[in-house]
Parts: sequence; structure tokens; C-alpha cells
Amino acid sequence: MPVAVDTPAPGFRLAATGAGAVGLDDLLRGGPAAVMFVTDDCPTCELALRRLAGTEVDVTVVCEAAAAGAARLAQRTGFGGRMLVEPAPYDTSRAYGLEAVPTTVVIAADGRVAETVVGWDAPALSRLLGTPLGDRPPLRKPGCAAKSTYDAVQLAADAAGEGDDPEAMYELGWTDGLPTIAPTPERVAAMLAGRDPHASLGPVPPGMGEATLERLAACAVLAGCRPEHFAVVAASAEAMLVPDFNLHGQAVTTQPAGQIAVVNGPVRHAAGLNAGMGALGPGTRANATIGRALRLLVSLTGEGMPGRLDRSTLGNPGKVGMCVAEHEERSPWPPLHVERGFAAGASVVTMFAGDAPLSISEHRSGTPEQLAAALGWAAATLWAPNWWPIGAATLFVICPEHADTLAGGGLSKDDVRRAIYEAVRRPAGALRHGEFTARVAAAADDEPIPKWDSPDDISLIVAGGEAGRFSAVFGPCVGMDWTPISREVR
Amino acid sequence: MNYVSPYDPAARTPVEPAPRPDSLAGRTVALLDISKNRGAEFLDRIEARVRELGAEVERYRKPLFSRPASGELIERIAARADVCIEALAD
Repeated sequence: MPVAVDTPAPGFRLAATGAGAVGLDDLLRGGPAAVMFVTDDCPTCELALRRLAGTEVDVTVVCEAAAAGAARLAQRTGFGGRMLVEPAPYDTSRAYGLEAVPTTVVIAADGRVAETVVGWDAPALSRLLGTPLGDRPPLRKPGCAAKSTYDAVQLAADAAGEGDDPEAMYELGWTDGLPTIAPTPERVAAMLAGRDPHASLGPVPPGMGEATLERLAACAVLAGCRPEHFAVVAASAEAMLVPDFNLHGQAVTTQPAGQIAVVNGPVRHAAGLNAGMGALGPGTRANATIGRALRLLVSLTGEGMPGRLDRSTLGNPGKVGMCVAEHEERSPWPPLHVERGFAAGASVVTMFAGDAPLSISEHRSGTPEQLAAALGWAAATLWAPNWWPIGAATLFVICPEHADTLAGGGLSKDDVRRAIYEAVRRPAGALRHGEFTARVAAAADDEPIPKWDSPDDISLIVAGGEAGRFSAVFGPCVGMDWTPISREVR
Repeated sequence: MNYVSPYDPAARTPVEPAPRPDSLAGRTVALLDISKNRGAEFLDRIEARVRELGAEVERYRKPLFSRPASGELIERIAARADVCIEALAD
């Protein structure tokens, strides 16, 4: 119960948000004092302070918060009056028997409590403080529990018990190192949106745990996906479990490669994928979480956890998850899925294996052929400087300005592929250093060796912001006998 | 708290390895080359050492290091050999 009227008001001395400290004695020196207790997380307190801001009311606010929280509250509400900081364990609030905030206590000059108002009550406070506080609704609004009435730490612990504790996920090992969202039955059901939870996409290498849709949905929840992302996650998982993708080899190799999902078609918009500025991330939930869900499927359901069955020497930051959407609307060429035989209006995901993206800055090339050669030569050291040909599919992401230059010069996607393929060659004799291929070993010194076996090993998509001449190429995953796999998103 | 596990319990059941033989003398040892670079060189040395211990040696090879051995190959080795040694090299 709040301190009763006519009983002595408990003394206090608290730090002010500006500087110095203020005690009750200081406040009473000029006569009666009004003290309003607030917290930094109560909407009604914010309302009260906004209404008080700019008035002539002489009220001292005592804020149950750390100094920074109190200062932020003053800033948010525009309250420029005197504010004192009452940090945990809130001794002053307890002494005043505070139950709710805001609570306004008027203390007479003799130090006794004259009157108390709980909550926002404009008429009562106008009278109490001797200043009209206006008649804008709401005139009355209850507040929140004072922080002194509950144990904030215990409250957080209780909430954790309700399934929102990242620490619990860490203890279970259901993480890639970043916090994950607890896959409660309710969240998993929402992710599934009526799909059969027991339907199976097959075993996930390397540990061969079975990918039921329910387990896949659990991975999607953990990753932070929303239900509208799940169709892309499911189609991607289906694609990467096709044996020709050789997920087994990718999952256990000492190479850094992870799995890259390239998304085409209308589902890019439905899922909220970003194909424009910053397309390779970070910044967009759909891109970040869809790629992450796929990696969690490999790491958890598939048991391919880095450092255990995943033996990658270094890994790569893109292995947390990599999902790229092609900027079809900005591309001068047919999109990847159309090149791969799907209808233009279809939504399709194509899975690649690859290392981190290498940025290619190229601002000066005068002709499309020069630009294509520059893009190709930037990729010449991929895998290893003398490893020619690479012998694996290589994914280039062409930025819009580069695409304009290439297409403006009349080059089709096939022309660009061929230009890259034709440009990047070195004589075998120059490649016989350190690690080199059997083809280089067997060739005459002056035989030109291309970086790729064929133009068909070069995949091109367009993505990125309008401004800037920065394309990228993903380092390839070599020696795995994998091929890109596409699946329609349904 | 009740969570939906991303794991498949069936894939997490530990499998006991077969007991190690006390001696290789008179046993048949399968040497499996996984087609990793220079794996055969390594197995040549192993073969010499194992023969010194009195074992018979049979050599096997799977086509690609990054794919699991086929069920057929595993069964063939299991039917003929007492011990299998697999080489990882580079």
C-alpha cells in the first residue's frame, strides 16, 4: 500500500539525470513538493511525461531505471524537468509502498504525505499540481506494475520457461553459434501451415537423419524464418538432397564450401527476398533465414555440425547460410531458371555448392569483351592459382551496371559465358608450379589451358543495387562431382 | 519445455564398432582406396606392413572419395575380409 496521507514521507537522496544528487529535503525547501514515480518501460508513464513536457508544472520525476534508461525516457518524451534515477533494488519505491506507476505523491512542507494519485488521471493531477493538463483523451489511464513489486530476473527466467530462451537452445546445441528461435510446437505448426509433418524428403547426409517436414520446419523456426519462407526452404532442401548434388561430400569436406540457394520467379516477392542493393547480405530476413535454415538442416538433422562430421579446415562466413535472389526485373537476360528449362512465371530454387563470394571491382573496361575478361581473370585464382581447369560449376553474380555494359554491347548470357571462357587461358608450362591438374601435367608447355572445362561450367545471375560496378564470383566446390539442382517452389 | 527436435533419433543411435582381432596373422585384410590423391601410395606401405604380420591382403577401390561407398562394395568387403583399412590421403 502507498504511504498513507498525513504520515511522514520517507526521505531519499537520488542522482539526477543531468548531474548531482537531489534529496527530499532539497525539494521541500521551497514548500510542498510533487514527486511522480515512473518506470522506463511503461506506456502510461510515457503519456504522463509527454503531457507534462512543456507545462510549467513543478514536479520531480523519480524513474525506476538505470541512469541510461531514465535519460532515454526523458529524451523520448521531451520531458525537460527534474528527473531522479532510482536504480534496482528500488529502495525509495519500496519505502513509498509503490504498487503501480505512474504514482504521484504530493508532500506537504512539513514532510507529510498530502495526497496520492495512481495512474494517469488528468483532472486529479491538474488539481493536485495546480496546473491545467488539458482535456485531450485519454483523461485517465491505468499504468504498470512498479518494478519494485516484482523480480525482473525471475520474470525473465519464467518467460524463458515459456520457450523463448536462446540459452536453452545453446544448451541443446540447436544453433550455428548465433541465437536461434525455440521451435515450439505452435511455431512449427505455423511454419508447416497444414503440410503433413511426417512427409519425408529423405535422409540428410552425412548422418542420414530423415528430413521430415516437421524437422525441416523446426530448422526453419530455429533459423528465424517466417511461414511465408517455408516453401522456398522446402524446395531448396528437396534439391540439395538429390544424390547428384552430393551433399554428403560437401558436408564433410575439409573445403570451406557451403550450400547456396538461388531463387527465381514470383516467390522472391512473396517471400520478401532482396535481389537489389546488398543482395548478398546482410540486411534482409528472408535471405538470411532461408539460407540459414538449410545449413541448420545439414548441421542438425544431417549431423553435419562444423567441428564434428563437418571437417572444414576454415569454413566460411557464408556457410551460416546463403540465399540469393536473381534481380530478374533488372536483368537484360533470361533468368537462371528459364535457362534451366523452367517457365518464366515459375518459382524455382537452384542449389549450388560454393565458397565465400569474391568481389570483382571493375570500373574502367571500355568494351563488353574487356569487362567479361576482367570478370573471368578475377576468378583465375579460384581454388588454387595453378589449378586449371577448375572442374566445377562456378557461379558469377553480375551487378546491374556490369550487366548493362555487357548487354549494351550486344552480348547475350551465352556470349558472356563464352567470352569469359575464351579469355582466361594460360600455357600449361606456366601452370606447372605447386598443385596443378592432370591435364596440365600432360599438356605441352605452350598448350593453352582454360580455367573452365567448358562455358557450361559458368553460371550467371544478375543481382545487386543500381549503383556500383561490383560483381562477385563464388569460389567453387571442387572434386565433389556435384551439379547444380533446381526444384520448383510450390 | 516441449520443443520439436530437428534431430532424427534413429540417426543418433550409437553403433558399436566390431571387436578388434588380437592378431592379423592368417586374417584377410581389405585395403580400401577411396580415390583420394596419393591414397594408393599410402596403402602400398600399409599392405607391406600387414603382409609382414601374416595377413592376406585384398585391395578395393571406390570411384570417388567424396561419395559414400556403395552398399554392394561394403557387403563384398564384409563377406570376404576380417578387417578393413581405409586410406585418407592428399
